Amino acid sequence: MSDSGKPMIALEGISKTYPKSTAPAVQELNLEVPAGTISMFIGPSGCGKTTSLKMMNRLIEPTTGRIVLDGADVTEVNADELRRKIGYVIQQVGLFPHFTIGDNIAVVPRILGWDKNRISARVDELLHLVGMEPKDYRHRYPRQLSGGQQQRVGVARGLAADPSVMLMDEPFGAIDPITRERIQDEFLELQRQIAKTICFVTHDLSEAVKLGDRIAVFGPGGTLQQYDTPDNVLTHPANEFVAEFVGSGAAVRRLSLLELSRLELQTVGLDGTGDRNGSPTYEADAEGRPVRWAYLPGTEVMPKLVTVPHSGTVYDAVDLMLDSQTELVGVVDDQQKLQGALWWKDLVEGLKTKGQV
Amino acid sequence: MDFFTYVGSQLDQLVFYGQQHFLLVLFAVGIAAAISLAAGTLLHTNRLTPDSWKRPVRAGSMEGLLIVSSAALTIPSLALFGLLQPVLGLGATPSLTALTIYAIYPVLRNVVAGLSSVDDAVLESARGMGMSPLRRMLTIQLPLAWPVILSGIRVAVLIIIGVAVVAGAINGPGFGSSLILGLARLGSVNSFNQVLAATLGCLVVAAVYEIVFWIVQRFTTPRGIRV
Repeated sequence: MSDSGKPMIALEGISKTYPKSTAPAVQELNLEVPAGTISMFIGPSGCGKTTSLKMMNRLIEPTTGRIVLDGADVTEVNADELRRKIGYVIQQVGLFPHFTIGDNIAVVPRILGWDKNRISARVDELLHLVGMEPKDYRHRYPRQLSGGQQQRVGVARGLAADPSVMLMDEPFGAIDPITRERIQDEFLELQRQIAKTICFVTHDLSEAVKLGDRIAVFGPGGTLQQYDTPDNVLTHPANEFVAEFVGSGAAVRRLSLLELSRLELQTVGLDGTGDRNGSPTYEADAEGRPVRWAYLPGTEVMPKLVTVPHSGTVYDAVDLMLDSQTELVGVVDDQQKLQGALWWKDLVEGLKTKGQV
Repeated sequence: MDFFTYVGSQLDQLVFYGQQHFLLVLFAVGIAAAISLAAGTLLHTNRLTPDSWKRPVRAGSMEGLLIVSSAALTIPSLALFGLLQPVLGLGATPSLTALTIYAIYPVLRNVVAGLSSVDDAVLESARGMGMSPLRRMLTIQLPLAWPVILSGIRVAVLIIIGVAVVAGAINGPGFGSSLILGLARLGSVNSFNQVLAATLGCLVVAAVYEIVFWIVQRFTTPRGIRV
């Protein structure tokens, strides 16, 4: 999280009041999105999160206030030219059904007048980036693709002219839960490579916690209630409204923020290499992969040995414990070597992260 | 004289009527389509009404134009040809004018319906990517509305092939004059054959148009939305 960077896009004192409406949809909004980070906009429906997003590329014109893109005031510039510099991805994707996938991705580069070879190379690059083989997909039409594939193309199209800012309006909202999980992981991986400044509207708190470097919680009347890291929003809600919004599940949600590799784990030893006092030991196969527990202090009946990769989160570990009905899980590294163990009681007694005393 | 002998003896004349009929319909619907496309796109983008007008008034004016053009369709055709006669006289000019007026509504209705049927998400993403209104209209809205617009043109053609017969009453081109003459002297020599030949002639013209439309549709519908 490079939150120290200067804001790539900022809203300054933005308000929006729709004609024929007395109450503003968004009120006095001040928001700075640091370069290269993902900000998640969340809140109950009608709280102005989508309106705020659409004011950033002026699909909705603000009533008062300034929009600043990379240090320049863009409140009054030509809206079409502004939008070509900002990627835009929506839930319904909105691919042009009469354009091939390649032509869909090439829309903005064509408007900007790139030459043919550059456009063609860019389309291939983007399709690779979103995990679709160019020669299989660039000549297909949108209706020949699944929902998940269409949204990948939607993201690629948003990235086409290499905009510094991406606006995404519930892009994964219409995708089934299993595909959504995968596409979120891919999206995070993608962001690691491209490091765009991203504003992302969602109604799913888990998604906000998973993807966001920061979360902006919107409240009634289009007011910004809190704008902070997911950890802080969950553990230190700014007010009653945020506390109620993140709800009673906040402590559990926090588990998914904590990577196992950051934890101080119970040390374990390979059975037969040392004495059995204090720490658990296990038996391993010829490749050194753990097979079963050999000794656990104070236990006669050995539970099944289940493992979770250290790139996973505490949430994954708990999920596995409940699933396999064991009190401890082994944490393994990329080579399947056991790194340590996590006990159920560690969760309740307080988790220690590395560096803590 | 039996029917086939009659057609054989009159073949040159019938082919000439057929060509006239075909061209009369082509020009009438062609002009109507041009007017409807222009008016329909302008109406759809609210470009025909000043910005200062209130929204309901602008929406009302769009409906208004549709109502006027549909009202025109309800004028009895014989009456319209008659009413145009003092101004435009007899022959091709008043025939073409009247038929154009009749053809506007079916096309205009479908231009408006076709443009309205374009998915909002498609339009929003087009806007969000910074496409100008003109570019959106030419590359997104019209191509996506085209199948609906084309079916409107097709309906207009079928209607106008029939109505064009009435143009015979004011000496217009096509099968009309022959048909009306045959009806007027029904019972005398070859009158029935004359009526039958003119009627079948209209059907042949319609069949030719159907083939033309099949080809046009095949080659102008964008591949991604072809069913």
